[in-house]
Amino acid sequence: MNTNIIEGIILLIFVIVLYTVYFYRGNKVKIKDASKKSIKIFIQNSIRLFAIFVIIAILEKFLSPNAVSAFLLKFSGLIGIIVGALAGSVMMGPAATSYPLGQYLLAHNASVTLVSAFLFTWVGIGVISVPLEFKFLGRKFTLLRNSFTFIAAILIALIMGVIL
Amino acid sequence: MKQILKDWIIEIVILGAAIVLAVFNPSKVGSALFSATKTYLNLFLVIVAVALLSSFISVTIPKQTIGKIIGKQSGVKGILIGATFGTLMVGPAYMFFPFFKELRDKGAGANIIATTIGAWAIKVAWMPFAITVLGWKFVLLFNGLIFVFAILSGILVGKFFKE
Repeated sequence: MNTNIIEGIILLIFVIVLYTVYFYRGNKVKIKDASKKSIKIFIQNSIRLFAIFVIIAILEKFLSPNAVSAFLLKFSGLIGIIVGALAGSVMMGPAATSYPLGQYLLAHNASVTLVSAFLFTWVGIGVISVPLEFKFLGRKFTLLRNSFTFIAAILIALIMGVIL
Repeated sequence: MKQILKDWIIEIVILGAAIVLAVFNPSKVGSALFSATKTYLNLFLVIVAVALLSSFISVTIPKQTIGKIIGKQSGVKGILIGATFGTLMVGPAYMFFPFFKELRDKGAGANIIATTIGAWAIKVAWMPFAITVLGWKFVLLFNGLIFVFAILSGILVGKFFKE
């Protein structure tokens, strides 16, 4: 089964237990308020997330993983790290998709540094989810966090390159 | 009306772009909408759970409590809680942004939230698969470095972020 569905079931069971316990032990009125509020939050989040899913899906139609790997194999050295980190930032999707790509790149003589930078920003930075991060966590937080992550991607890549 | 426009500007732009693209390439946009719907359905339970959890925290848990556990001043303990939570979670981090906002509004430190999002890049559930594909040396070193980075990025964000 899909890991997202499993995670959903586990989370939902946890939340239902939380609500039930609080309903009997705590304040019934507050639980009603929370349920009402959750409907509004659910609708808002659904619209925002669906919009993001649409862009990701459109992007996937234009940037196939194979095309991206072929593109990345053209680069090496420091430029390779930066291009790898940028490509990973643009790519979205489950981390599991990125591992076979990493394997393919390594098998075709891409450097460990390029592959590390690519794999890290794939999960660590999402250019497409930046508007969402702006909206919920604020501009300053988003810019700081993503800049640090980008710098870290390059540093982690260099350390990986030295050790492996 | 102005407020609605301001709140939903990103979604409106996306809708506009999708309509324009659909005029030129209806089949591509059609299949994109189909796969977006599939993603939404896959994540439906998580979205429901996140909404319930966010409203639960906003209604029932007092501000001081959140501040004490994962506030800016919660120190090493708070950072470790954030790092552990982020490491164990799977799925895209942006699904939890509304939940993080709720925590922030309730007094959670920017440093702790940054650490949590940083550690989100570690996918424990996928590690066995990653090891078979990339080898254990690569995967362990990679994830170890991400964990260290998550903590450092939390500390740095905390330094730059005056609350």
